[in-house]
Amino acid sequence: MKLIPLAFKNILRKKTRSILTMASIVLPLFVICILGTMIRTLEADPTGGKGMFRLIVRHKVSLANFFPEAYREPVKQMPGVAAITILNWFGGQYIDNQPRNMFQRFAVEPESFLAVADEITIVEGTAQDWTSDRRGVLVGSLLAKRYGWKIGDQFVLKGDIFPVNLELTVRAIFKAPDETSVYFNRTYVEESVPWAKGLVGTLWIKADSPDAVARLTRMIDERFENTPYPTKTETEKEFQNGFISMLGNVKLVLNAISLAIGLVILLIAANTMAMTARERVTEIAVLRTLGFPKSDILTMVLAESLILALIGGGLGLAFFSLMFPGFRQGLLESPMGGFAAGMKLFPEVLIVGFLITLAIGLAAGLVPAFRSAQREITDGLRQVA
Amino acid sequence: MAEPFIRIESIVKQYVRDTQVLTVLDGLSLSVEEGDFVALMGPSGSGKTTLLNLIAGIDKPTSGRIAVGKSEVSSMSEAALARYRSENIGFIFQLYNLVPVLTAFENVELPLLLTKMSRAQRRKQVELALSIVGLADRMDHYPRQLSGGQEQRVAIARAIATDPKVLVADEPTGDLDAKSGEEILILLERLNDEFKKTIVMVTHDPRAASRAHRLVHLDKGVLKEDIRAEGREVGLEAARSAVVS
Repeated sequence: MKLIPLAFKNILRKKTRSILTMASIVLPLFVICILGTMIRTLEADPTGGKGMFRLIVRHKVSLANFFPEAYREPVKQMPGVAAITILNWFGGQYIDNQPRNMFQRFAVEPESFLAVADEITIVEGTAQDWTSDRRGVLVGSLLAKRYGWKIGDQFVLKGDIFPVNLELTVRAIFKAPDETSVYFNRTYVEESVPWAKGLVGTLWIKADSPDAVARLTRMIDERFENTPYPTKTETEKEFQNGFISMLGNVKLVLNAISLAIGLVILLIAANTMAMTARERVTEIAVLRTLGFPKSDILTMVLAESLILALIGGGLGLAFFSLMFPGFRQGLLESPMGGFAAGMKLFPEVLIVGFLITLAIGLAAGLVPAFRSAQREITDGLRQVA
Repeated sequence: MAEPFIRIESIVKQYVRDTQVLTVLDGLSLSVEEGDFVALMGPSGSGKTTLLNLIAGIDKPTSGRIAVGKSEVSSMSEAALARYRSENIGFIFQLYNLVPVLTAFENVELPLLLTKMSRAQRRKQVELALSIVGLADRMDHYPRQLSGGQEQRVAIARAIATDPKVLVADEPTGDLDAKSGEEILILLERLNDEFKKTIVMVTHDPRAASRAHRLVHLDKGVLKEDIRAEGREVGLEAARSAVVS
């Protein structure tokens, strides 16, 4: 420990090299934190726990298949069901098919919808305004901000799955973890598209307890197992993971990229430490001649590596924390807005970032530190720096 | 009769390079009294620096015994040798070997970090060492801000900071001009006379060797000549003859 102050001074010995090494940690660590946040977002529950009590019933074959609206009543009677609503994916097109104009559009039953989607808070207009207007639309505040929608504004959604142009009026604006969706009355769709009447894409259920969640999942599917429209019931979390799995093993890819970046940082830091130690062979031999034991030399070289990595890592994490709100905002306004809505500054990502930095500092310094400590003093003194 | 301070008995030092065994010291024996000033001379490869390193405890003999004061240097463990060096030996190098990122003060303070001294005690000791070498006014200077002679004086201050009994010097004037070299030799003489340091110095320079009390001439790892001063110093003639022979 006696040589720790010297370790600090050694870092300033070649300032350019130290700064470049730190920069080589700052930027990749920033990317690792972004990737880590994406992985964590994929794993997280965007409903803040409320989704734990929500179940989604869909056709067993796929989401593109419908089942009869008549399924609602027997499900509603099952013990443990606190609320139930119909939610149909509308698809369609707003303005054009450009990615910037992509957002989620759902045809719902307004009255029961708000009882199930209880994380939604209406901040402009009222629930009554929305439910009482058949052409009314409830829009997320982020979308309202993006398009400059205000209460009373009108816009048209051009149908594709359902061949109808919906002329909608903004009646309420909501805040929720995901504010990039719009919800309108399914009756409006059914009246315009007769074949859609009585068809359900998904039933959303709010269970009254965790026990009920497990029980209902089994009960509902068993109830419709031998019908022409068998169902698949899953929790909201499982339902979302199903979407993610359609993209392939995203988590594995993100983890692999993070690992590759981490290894690159390690190689750069290890190279710097190897060069630093090599340049100071004689100096280290002199320190040992003065009587500093091997353990002090080992600690000094390792401390240098750690200090360098921790400063770089600290700056990287600070940079990430500062840039994250802007990065998230950018994503929110992109087609990834729905995903970005669940993104936040996860403390565990920062902790993992810190641990990666620590591991890099230790791993990069370990070999040069051992070599420096183990080298014979006479060999070190013979070497001309 | 009192036992000599440094006792070297039948020392052998061999290095193995690939399959070849190279004998650098071949059964050498030597005694040095406390407070003596010994110059080690001899051609390159004669074993002078190896002998110096063995006395300083930075190398170990293949066989034989080395004892300095009450320390059995040849049989010590690595950790014990490190302690022995910090407590008993001051090392002066040809190329000064100061740490460039540390000031003169911090360089001299380095060996004191291994002691139990308080910060205030260390400061006092460093100031004393630097004043002995005449550099009390340069303690905040970095090595790059000092001349070669001044750097070597800082290195000497570092060597005496812990008040060791023995100073080992490997060509201490080898990288200096004549004037600076002379200043260093005067300083070494003072450390020997006034502070009673036992000095063992390797040198090729007869002028430097002439200031010692005793001249030990090595050749091919054995003691060839051992000249003791009749007066205070060996003298230039004796040193020159050692080089020629």
